[in-house]
This record gives sequence, C-alpha cells and structure tokens, in this order.
Amino acid sequence: MKKILNQPDAYVDEMLAGLCAAHPRSYRLEGDDGRVIARASGAVKGKVGIVTGGGSGHLPVFLGYVGDGLLDACAVGNVFAGPRVSDCQAAARAADGGAGVLQLYGNYGGDKMNFDMAQEFLELDGLEVSSVRVADDVASAPPPERDKRRGVAGMVYAFKIAGARAAEGGSLAEVTAAATKAAQACRSIGIALTPCVVPESGKPSFSIDDDEIEFGMGIHGEPGIWRGAMKPADALAQEMLDRLLPELDVGRGSRVAVLVNSLGATPHEELYILYRHVAKVLGERGATPVMPLVGRYATSMEMAGASVTLMPLDAELERLLTARADCPFWRVG
Amino acid sequence: MSGSAAPASIDADALLAALARWCDAMEAAGPELNELDARLGDGDLGATLARCAANVRASLAGTPAVAPGAMLKACAQACAKASGSSFGTLLAVAFLAAAKAAGERERLEREAMVSMLDAARETMSARGGAALGDKTVLDSLAAVADALRHATPDASAGQLRDVAVDAAARAVDTLRARPNRIGRARMFGERSVGLEDPGMVAALRMAQAL
Repeated sequence: MKKILNQPDAYVDEMLAGLCAAHPRSYRLEGDDGRVIARASGAVKGKVGIVTGGGSGHLPVFLGYVGDGLLDACAVGNVFAGPRVSDCQAAARAADGGAGVLQLYGNYGGDKMNFDMAQEFLELDGLEVSSVRVADDVASAPPPERDKRRGVAGMVYAFKIAGARAAEGGSLAEVTAAATKAAQACRSIGIALTPCVVPESGKPSFSIDDDEIEFGMGIHGEPGIWRGAMKPADALAQEMLDRLLPELDVGRGSRVAVLVNSLGATPHEELYILYRHVAKVLGERGATPVMPLVGRYATSMEMAGASVTLMPLDAELERLLTARADCPFWRVG
Repeated sequence: MSGSAAPASIDADALLAALARWCDAMEAAGPELNELDARLGDGDLGATLARCAANVRASLAGTPAVAPGAMLKACAQACAKASGSSFGTLLAVAFLAAAKAAGERERLEREAMVSMLDAARETMSARGGAALGDKTVLDSLAAVADALRHATPDASAGQLRDVAVDAAARAVDTLRARPNRIGRARMFGERSVGLEDPGMVAALRMAQAL
C-alpha cells in the first residue's frame, strides 16, 4: 500500500480534521465521536433539513455537499463502511431547523437499515422525518428490479435538487417530492480501469489485468456487467449511452443534465474526451445538455475509471438544478 | 433467576441484573464469535457485540432500575452507537421492538416475553430482509418464543430460562446442516452447510446469560 496517511485507523478522522481546518466557514464536526459534518453556521431556522450519510472514500460524496442550497449534515462512516445509527440521528438533529428532516442517501442495504432505525428513534422524539434513496446505477439490476439498484453519482443531482427546493422554502413534503423526482429521473453507469486500496485492509478492492476494464462496476468494486479488453473512448461512451438512453425519454427538444465523473484517478482530459462523444450523441438526437458537469463529483479514492449520469429535465428540475448553491467542492450560480 | 421457587415473571431489578449478565456474556463470547464469523463473514461479530455490551453497560451504570420498556429502549440506543455494522443495528432494532412490546409494564410475564421476542423477530425480518429458515438469529428467536409459548403453565423463571437455552441450542443444531441464505454468508452457499451460524450462536450465548 502506498498512500499518504499516518495510521490506517486514523484515516477518516484525520481527513475530517483537515477538511474542517481548511474550510472552517463551511464545515464543523458534530456527534459524540466527531463523525458528523454539519454546516458551520448551524441549522437554518424554518428550513427543511437535509441529511445524508455513507462510507468515506468518495469525496466530494457524501459530506462535501454540505453547504448552501445543498445538504445540512452528513453522517460519516469508515472507508466504504456505513455510518453508525447514532451518527445518522446526530446528523438529523444538527440539520433540524424546525421544519422536518429529509434523509437522502444511496440505496445500500446497511445504510437503509441504519437510516430506518435512526428515523424510528427520531420520530419517537417527535421529529418529522422522511427518507428518499437514490438508486441510479443501471448496471446493478435490470429495470424491473430498480429498487435493488445502487446509488452512485446520481446522488449529486438528488442532493442539488432537494437542496434547492428546501432553500426555496419548500415544506418537508415538497422537498421529499423534489428529491424523489430527481432520484427517479437520473441514470448512471460506470467503468473501472484499476482498483483502489481501502486503508484499513491495505489491499486492492479487486484485481484486474493491465489491459482490462470492468464495465458497470460499482463504486466499491461491486461486479459489473462484463470484464474485457480496453476499448477506445468513443466506443466506451457509446456503450454507456446505449445502457442509459433506453431507460430515458431523450429526444428532439429534450434538455438533459449531464455528469461525466471521474472515479478518482482518471484525469479531466479523459473525461472531456468522453464528454465530447456524449454531447455529440445527445446533439444528434436533438437534445441539449444543460449545465454539464465534468470532473470529480463521486469517487472511489484512487480508482481509475469514469461514470456518466443523465437526468432529463422538466422546468422544475432545471430551475432547481441551476439555482444558487455553494460548498467548497462545487458552486452553482 | 435459577431458584425453582422464583415466579415466572421478571421485574425491573431482575431485568437490570439480567442485562448486566448479558453484557458479561457478550464480552466473554467475543473471541469465539469473531472466530465463527471469520469463516463466513468479516470476522467482526464478536467485536461488534462486545462494543454493544460496553455501551449497554455504560448506559445502565449507576442508574436505578426503571420500567423494563425504558431500560430496553436505552439498550437499543446504546447498540445504535456501537458501529455501522448490520448486526449491531439489528440488535438495536430488536431491543427497540422489545421495548415497544413491553410498553409500560412493570413486570414481564411469560406472555409479554413471548410477544417481545415475536416483535423483535418480526421487526428484524422487516428491516434486514431475512426470513425464517435463512439460518439467522431469527430462527433462534422463533425457536425460543415457540418453546416459551409451549412451556408448562406453572414453569418458574429458572425453568423458562432452561427451556429458552435448550431451544436456542437445538436451533443451532437443526440449522447447522443447511446453507446460509442471506447476508455475506450467503455467498458461501453450500460451503456454509455444517457450519454454525455465528448470529445463532450469539443468540444461544445470550439465552445462557439470562
């Protein structure tokens, strides 16, 4: 293992300490073990609070998106391991501005169980809580089993849409509805070129030959659709679109949010080569990309690879997508 | 509760004492459960339960025995602080379901114990997705609840404990010959045949402590 760290066990806590030291006006630590990131300025009175949570190792997902027009708090787990139930509760309390709290997170079994348990505890204490899970990874289950799909880069759009609706003053029901709409509208697929190393184990998350890629792999190295020889970028982009577009209504006049995301090690250059083909295909269909995002938005530490996310927009989604938002990793407007 | 003259119900003091023994047993069983879990999972079951036990002990320390339901709720919250791992959360789920089933009761009669076990099993099944026969702790809870339900009406608390231990042990033996059908152990499929499910052994150690 060749990583910049001190002790593998201290990886997450030292990362959090550095993050808060670098961005003291954005983030502060909460929770009895310091495993909750909340807005430095505290909960916004009268606004619906939005919390998320998940394993570390995906920056800017999850905690990076705590900020104006985005999330209010995040429960932080170890690398690729879910947060504690008590931290999910602490995140909700930190986010509570008196208008209820939305738990918005990726569709993973352990996280669902923990957030469900947190919701039960919070409701016993009289807090109004709703939950929406993002399940955008088309490689992880066929369309009839959409509820089994994993949440990947599409979470970024769900955070943005829900965050903007809450900032507009939406009620818990309205923010929940906006989050649900975004979660149902977006689709993602990824390709992995190399594994990453989880600090606690010190070993690669999976093994793959130098000339091979895994198409459809999940962000923790979950198996994808096929493994085979590397292909040219346009062929990869085309195959990704061929998996996404049949599930989406994208035609003449469509406006589509596009995210070409690095899994960590893949450079911006290669993302733009992918984006070039994605934009060309959308243009040929008569569709217009809106506010394209090209960069590191949801990663797996140093894994090489990329994902493409598409979200067809209606007027409401486009208004919420382009509304002002600000966190240290991303600024809109 | 080993005395044969003890009534077949427990009050807050008895529950507090039983929970203290439960904590001792979970800490003592840590290495054994880690080892069993390492054959089928990531080998952290014993550590998870030991952390749950330490948190339960801390949350009950120095506090007087309050109504059983309130103590069980405190146990649920203590387990929720232990880790993000599934078994810790499921234990929190079970304690909270049992707390709700206990309600405001001052004493837990046999019927209440059975309904608490049923509530814990049903809620864990709904949350975790496992069904009876999947070779999980749910099979242990169902076996123990069933045995308590059918125990002789005048059984003492000590006799009920023996009935519960016997049922939990038989559940481990019965399911040993079957494959694990859920969770990480499921990936071992037929190779899990002949191995005790670590969660079921944990349930046995819990029953023995009570």
